Amino acid sequence: MNTRKEIMILAFALASAIAAASIGGSWKRSLAFFAAWLLPGAGHVVMGKWKKGLFFFALLGAAYAFGMHIAGWRPVSFDDNPFYFVGQYGSGATLLVAKLRGAEKAVLSQGIHPSWFDPGLLYVCVVGLLNLVLMLNVLDVKTASAPAPAPAAPPPPAAVPPPATEKTA
Amino acid sequence: MSNISYLVLFFPIVLVILLVLEACRSDDPKKIAKRAFANFGVLTAVLVLGGAFVYVINRWF
Repeated sequence: MNTRKEIMILAFALASAIAAASIGGSWKRSLAFFAAWLLPGAGHVVMGKWKKGLFFFALLGAAYAFGMHIAGWRPVSFDDNPFYFVGQYGSGATLLVAKLRGAEKAVLSQGIHPSWFDPGLLYVCVVGLLNLVLMLNVLDVKTASAPAPAPAAPPPPAAVPPPATEKTA
Repeated sequence: MSNISYLVLFFPIVLVILLVLEACRSDDPKKIAKRAFANFGVLTAVLVLGGAFVYVINRWF
């Protein structure tokens, strides 16, 4: 991947964070949105849902590590599968791993059947796509410090018509 | 692992997807697990029935 593509990806991430800030009206939520892109579950931790954040990190981290193990600890290249290549960049952590590993063509690990190769790439891609879901979920997380909405006041009793009075002649 | 069919990889990734989606909807761990496994059962049943249907079509028709 060349530098221009990386700049475009980062510009997209930053623009998304700014858009999130404008939607939620909170810079904490904007920071959480960007953190969620950087690391799966980090956005929920920033918003105070640390248990859920750790759960997401463990789940997606395990799936990503398993997929990378099958693919020989090489990120998905464009030649392997263009769709999986795009999908793996749903998380900044996977982008960093791809840069550190050189983004060369994935090779099958020893002792693994060749039919496992495509599912391994799929695992890596799915983690990136699920992280996009988590980023959107961060926008919907309710912070613990936010005041709870006041309960609606009971409706006023219906006006009781005055009892009919006897007509006097 | 070289002798195991790649079809077994269906189970973990679908469970991960369903658990993440349900965890986004709810905060209750029991509810998350219950819904995720219920949906997993339905998806697996659909897959098995669809596979059996395709097998029958290809085998005898």
